[in-house]
Amino acid sequence: MRVKLSAFALGALVLVVLPFVLTDFRTVQLATVGAYFIAILGLDVLTGHSGQISLGHGAFMAVGAYTTAILMANHGVRDLWTIPIAAGVAGVIGLLAGVPALRLSGLYLALATFGIAVVLPTILKKFDHFTGGSTGITLFGKPTQTGHGVGVWGLTNNQWLYALTWTVGGVVFLIAWWLLDSRFGRSLRAIRDSELAAVASGVNRAKYKVLAFGVSAAFAGVAGALLAINVAYVAPDTFPIQLSLYLLVGAVVGFFGSIWGAVFGALLIQFLPDIVGLIPHVDTKQAGPTTLFFGLVLVVLMLVLPIVLRAASKLANRSYFGAQ
Amino acid sequence: MTRNLCVIALAALTLAGVAAASTAGTPGVTSTTITLGSSGPLTGEAAAAAGVLRGADGYFKYVNARGGVNGRKIDFKYLDDGYDPSRTVQNVRELIQQDNVFALFSVVGTNGNLAIRDFANASGVPTVFSAAGATTLGRDYVKYPWTIGYLPPYGEEGELYGKHILATNGKKAKVAVLYQSDDYGKDVLAGFRRGLGAKARTLIVQTVGYDPTASDVQSQVAQLKASGANTFCIFAFGKFAIQAFQYANKLGWKPQIYVNDVASASSIMQLGPRSTAEGSISIAWGKDPATPQFKSDPGVLLAAKIIKKYIPGGNPSDGFLAAGMAEGFSMVDALKAAGKNLTRKSLMNAVTHMNEANNPFLVPGVKVHTTPTFRFPISSVQLQRWHNGHWVLFGGVQSAKP
Repeated sequence: MRVKLSAFALGALVLVVLPFVLTDFRTVQLATVGAYFIAILGLDVLTGHSGQISLGHGAFMAVGAYTTAILMANHGVRDLWTIPIAAGVAGVIGLLAGVPALRLSGLYLALATFGIAVVLPTILKKFDHFTGGSTGITLFGKPTQTGHGVGVWGLTNNQWLYALTWTVGGVVFLIAWWLLDSRFGRSLRAIRDSELAAVASGVNRAKYKVLAFGVSAAFAGVAGALLAINVAYVAPDTFPIQLSLYLLVGAVVGFFGSIWGAVFGALLIQFLPDIVGLIPHVDTKQAGPTTLFFGLVLVVLMLVLPIVLRAASKLANRSYFGAQ
Repeated sequence: MTRNLCVIALAALTLAGVAAASTAGTPGVTSTTITLGSSGPLTGEAAAAAGVLRGADGYFKYVNARGGVNGRKIDFKYLDDGYDPSRTVQNVRELIQQDNVFALFSVVGTNGNLAIRDFANASGVPTVFSAAGATTLGRDYVKYPWTIGYLPPYGEEGELYGKHILATNGKKAKVAVLYQSDDYGKDVLAGFRRGLGAKARTLIVQTVGYDPTASDVQSQVAQLKASGANTFCIFAFGKFAIQAFQYANKLGWKPQIYVNDVASASSIMQLGPRSTAEGSISIAWGKDPATPQFKSDPGVLLAAKIIKKYIPGGNPSDGFLAAGMAEGFSMVDALKAAGKNLTRKSLMNAVTHMNEANNPFLVPGVKVHTTPTFRFPISSVQLQRWHNGHWVLFGGVQSAKP
């Protein structure tokens, strides 16, 4: 526990120092990384711990983002206060999605959640008087925007966005840590490993599976709200199906089941397109090399990770038994 | 436990790597370069429109090879947004904050331009000659002094089609309209209604919108055909326009077609069978290289030369490339006029005092003219009719002033 706490403190320290050594633009990019980080934490709770797959987490982010955007643009709610509301709205929708998900598993659940992600942009466009249609909603310069122009505590606008995102990210991380370390997390893992055994031990399967969906979606809602605040603009195409897939790849990269790895997944989502652009002869302006590389990363990880993990556990065992 | 520490250390290293990768951006104007930025759909459904950026880029390279502008070379950096306005916002943020571009030039698409203009104006970065025709880009200069469009305003374009219907078939026309249900499509449609005036109510029998990310417009076209219309307005973009022509043909519907400028490139219109688009009417402001009457035109010949030398893989008869060169020509003119002591203010002063009659890529008689209170660079156009596989211009240059 002490090591984990010091690791958390070290991570927080790195995050505090970074904006002072980075350019303003990298700072705001890392703010976006913070939003992805929170979404991946949510996915980790759901898929990594309760074993329910979701290919539709981008849709929950969209719900959060639009909650923030509509409140900020049309109802004069200050951006900060929209974050918990976005979490609530996305959480409730997540709970609702969790109910039918009880009857689905594996591939079928993947397809159903995929469906949510595919349909949502179209729904957003359909109700254009409410959502701004495909033109989207611009939040830049709205009086409800905090830290725009004048700056807060002497921070530039981008540094403020970074500070906000990662402060929320830290809080969400601590919540996830606490949740997963408590009865809730143990129940989820019991269900993941064997539903039958979990039920036999008195775990309320339906309750925890639905709750996992709700918590996970609420995290994604927070991520969406922060993304909307960061970009100061939302449109239906901000949340394409690729985003949901990237989040899943990010969660895999972040070692499913360990919330500590989520930051790698988040960095990958933000910077893989830039890295792909550095490869000679790969023109990111043609076709879709970025998507291809996300797929490649996923395939390679799926192939390599079990081998690495098995080797690592063998090593650990040997040193453990050797020490005996 | 140690694993977690390793994880954190790795995270710190990765972030440090990111830090090292970021270098100080180049200033927008040096003694030898001017950096311009842009964003457009280099990939995705609307990718054809990115020809505008490639065309402008080719023209800048041509100018650079001849000494540049006032001794400076133009460095044109354009990023892909896949026609998604939120990516346009992020691209523009990168261009302004990371690449320190001097100005944004020819950002493609109405939605993208609307999404970025608050940010660009707050940052005081000129956003000039945008490849979009939304009327608001030229009209709302008091609120957005750093923004100016380029294309003829969509509303005026729609109005011209309305007036043409009144003049040629005002008694018997029954009009069906397919439009893209966003600001661009609604802009054209509103202008079209204005053009028909009091008769709009009786002449228009049906309008159907489609979503720009829909997969096709087959059902919309069938619906419009069922309305019994004899005139069909296609206020659609790229593949949707192609589908509209093809489905109408497939359904055996032979109305008088009006197709908006953004879908009227010869490369889009050359559909099989040949009768599909025969007789369609549109507007022209740039020279479409595939139009026979411009075959030996010096502007079109220059465009072909530039494409061959500077735009690898570029199709010499691509109208989007030529349109981009027209924009590039105006930009070079403006940069020249802004003077040796180039500032963002002097550029805005230049683009709002344009008086350019010698743009070789524009239809003869179409001039680029702006004043500080009139910000529609191209406000005259000529009608054209599709005949036998190519456009034929007719009726002389007309005003498209709002």
